[in-house]
Amino acid sequence: MKQASFKRFTIFFDQYLFIAITLLSVMGLFFLYSASQGNINVVMKQSIFVGFGIFLMFILSQPDPDIYKILSRVFLITSLILVLITILVAKEINGAKRWLDLGVFTLQPSELVKIALPIYLAAYLFEKPIPIDLKNTFKSLLIIAVCFLLIARQPDLGTSLVVSMAGVYILFFAGLSWKFIGSSIIVFLISLPFLWNNFLQPFQQQRILTSLDPSADPFGSGWNITQSKIAIGSGGISGKGFEAGSQSHLDFLPETETDFIFAVIAEEFGFIGVCILLSIYMFIFLRCMYLAFNARDRFCRLTIGGLSLIFASTLFINLAMVTGLIPVVGMPLPFISKGGSSLLSFYIAFGIIISMASHKKLMQR
Amino acid sequence: MIDIEDRFIEKRIFKNRLILIYLFFGFLFSAFIYRTYTLQVYSYSSYESASIKNKTRSILVQPKRGIVYDRNGNILINNVPSYDLIIQPSKIDNISKYLERLNNVILIDQDERDYVLEQFDNKSTYNRELAVKRALSEEEIARFEVRNYLFPEALIDKRYRRESEYPYLFSHVLGFVGAAENETMSEILTTQDKFPGETLFKYANGYLIGKTGIENTYDNSLRGSFGEKIFEVDARGKLLKQIDFIEPTDGLDMFTSLDLEAQKVAFEAMDGRKGAVVVVEIETGSIITYLSSPSFSINQISNGISSVNFEKLIEDKAKPFFDRASQGRYSPASTIKPAIGLYGLQSGIINWDYTIDDPGFFVLPEDQRIYRGWKKGGHGNINLENALIESSNTFFFSLAYQSEIKDLIDHLSNFGFGRNICVDCFNPGKGLLPSPEWKMNNLNFGWFKGDSVNLGVGQGYLSATPVQLAFYSGLLSKKGSLKKLSLINDNVGKETIVLPMTNITSKDWDKIHESMIGVIENPKGTAKRLKNLKSYNIAAKSGTVELVSLDSKEDYELVRQDILKRDHAIMIAFAPMPNPKYAISVVIENAESGGSVAGPVAVKVLNSLIKE
Repeated sequence: MKQASFKRFTIFFDQYLFIAITLLSVMGLFFLYSASQGNINVVMKQSIFVGFGIFLMFILSQPDPDIYKILSRVFLITSLILVLITILVAKEINGAKRWLDLGVFTLQPSELVKIALPIYLAAYLFEKPIPIDLKNTFKSLLIIAVCFLLIARQPDLGTSLVVSMAGVYILFFAGLSWKFIGSSIIVFLISLPFLWNNFLQPFQQQRILTSLDPSADPFGSGWNITQSKIAIGSGGISGKGFEAGSQSHLDFLPETETDFIFAVIAEEFGFIGVCILLSIYMFIFLRCMYLAFNARDRFCRLTIGGLSLIFASTLFINLAMVTGLIPVVGMPLPFISKGGSSLLSFYIAFGIIISMASHKKLMQR
Repeated sequence: MIDIEDRFIEKRIFKNRLILIYLFFGFLFSAFIYRTYTLQVYSYSSYESASIKNKTRSILVQPKRGIVYDRNGNILINNVPSYDLIIQPSKIDNISKYLERLNNVILIDQDERDYVLEQFDNKSTYNRELAVKRALSEEEIARFEVRNYLFPEALIDKRYRRESEYPYLFSHVLGFVGAAENETMSEILTTQDKFPGETLFKYANGYLIGKTGIENTYDNSLRGSFGEKIFEVDARGKLLKQIDFIEPTDGLDMFTSLDLEAQKVAFEAMDGRKGAVVVVEIETGSIITYLSSPSFSINQISNGISSVNFEKLIEDKAKPFFDRASQGRYSPASTIKPAIGLYGLQSGIINWDYTIDDPGFFVLPEDQRIYRGWKKGGHGNINLENALIESSNTFFFSLAYQSEIKDLIDHLSNFGFGRNICVDCFNPGKGLLPSPEWKMNNLNFGWFKGDSVNLGVGQGYLSATPVQLAFYSGLLSKKGSLKKLSLINDNVGKETIVLPMTNITSKDWDKIHESMIGVIENPKGTAKRLKNLKSYNIAAKSGTVELVSLDSKEDYELVRQDILKRDHAIMIAFAPMPNPKYAISVVIENAESGGSVAGPVAVKVLNSLIKE
């Protein structure tokens, strides 16, 4: 971390994260070029997002973290209202209302909640006794539940789960008692059949069953998983070469630009490419952990921990989905998948992380 | 305000939890790397092949079917390129209306219309093509091509018709071809390591396989192997570009032992009468002429015939589809006599000096039943030679009466009766060689002495196919040793049948041959009318198959009013004597006299073969 001093002002910056994220983003543009079958329009549009994202990350790392603490309640309420508006006014796309058309840009407000919720919780717990007591645990869980239910209404089960995970991570770092964690897991397991029957749509149940045995229905709902595994597996050690992936270029692979872009990368760059890519991701994650550990106060610790875990969770859910370990849930590969809101949300998150890591106080709390 | 100790506790909790998270994600990371390693390195080859299978589609390229030649290199069946109007039934809803529309461009006659209507449903179900009209003229092609945008479901494409210049000459022996059934197709593809799938069938259209005759027997070598055009396809199955081409292996051309000229002569001599002509080259056992009459056009059957016309052929009383040469069963009648005479000599019952008195009939001692000869008053005192020349029934009745029935049956079996002696005839019949066991099992009666007596003149239950009779004739000509019959010249490994007759000398054979020459040359010979039709000696034996058992000639005059009850005429012969090259059998149904009706046919065919 650096606090580069100039004559008039100070720039707050973390070169490790900045370089790694920029590297990922640029690599992502190349991957996307191949995944979109050389569609230059898609790549141009993504470049604008990436450029804007990096700029946004830089801007957001400049203010003192206390500003985020002060504004956290406003952030959360605003983003929740946007979700509500989305549910009320947005056009239905594929049976879901997730996007708010802002003219130049379609916003997915649930992506904002994903960031606002952990920041709010970290701020909320800032002055509370640690480890977190039962009363505050339930208060926090109530807030998480509101966010979860609101987003699940869209319906967007994937994002709502990530949002609740973000909240739970904060509680975990705040010292959520093991008893509570243990009993929650037991309750969850017991109520699993009930949840399966009452909360999951038939298509969601189908997806889960398919992920357990994709070969049972290779041309139906198992198609995506089967083709994705073929793409990854046929990449071998060194891959088929840039733009030479037959699975993606002959349309066997679905959603190559978004959820399944990892399969394109694995097919074209092989196991070696996968290892390099994952190393960069792991580097970013480890750097965040380090920054969290050395953060200046509890608010920053919790926020950095929470946000970076969202990043890691999104990554692994995507990877597990693409390699057929879990059902298809619709989760992007951070910084690489084509996208607007979800892509920007990561730049925002890392901007806040860098801000928290690079602003020091004389007396740590 | 939070004090120092609290902060300390808090940091410790945070640190512990952070380590836990580290460990958890570290585990996820390793698990994921392991997963990718499994997919990309450990199971690479199976995913690699799945990926190749995904992106390629092979389209079959048909091999050209082998050409069939006669023994002199004349083409008997060829592939004739023809431009056919082809439709895709699976894309057409109302075929009647569609044909009407097509009819405005290319005239479609009633037969073609019937054929299309009949085949439509089946072809549509299996997504196979259907040829509406074949062998289009240049004008028809031009008329269609300028309007082809009106008919996206139809196209004109080059196909090979299987065509013979002599469609009626070789109908049964060459046989016809037809579209392969779906199961057959799938079998053929599997044996050629091609993978049959629905899409493959579509491109294997117009592929013909042999259904009968040589086309069927030698189908494996005639058909060749499919080639493949391998295309890259996308996920929707759209062909993108050809990436590989495996040439088809054309079917092997085939040289048969058939002789076009002799076949023509036989065909003309038979003149559509019901019957068969089979000629064998004695040296090799190969079949030179193989005619079943009447016949049908193989071109018509091979290239699509409407069911109406097909029905007509099936219901024709003359049964043109019936392969009389291989499947017809005829009593050998008097043509069996040389074999019976040889039995007498072999078993010592008679010798060449042995005579009997022939009063014109034979009385069975057991029940006084009378068996008549053909000549009223009989042949008088007669020996084996004259009995063969004049065809005395009484002599052979008496000889058969004295025979040991089991030995006699074994003896006849050695001549090929009751078994298959052709290695590559299509669906060869065996005729019937009766025996006491056979009679008991099938007719529920014991063997009578009278049955033996009938066997002595080739009547009764005994029956043989013309192919068997030709073999028998060849065996007589070659003095008891002949290769099994075949339709090709390649005789490697062909079994030779040898008669196990230790008591028969070469002299005996010469005398048999002389007697058979006498059938034509001797003034008393039953086929003496043939004497002046040729310039060399022929050994022959005629036969007349009684279809109705009668006591007198007067009765027969009544019976012959019904043509179908008239006797069959049979002739076996071999020539030129004394060094025979060809053996022949001729059967003409309801022609009454072997010597005077079947004989001339045999002579004409032999004349064409023996020109010098």
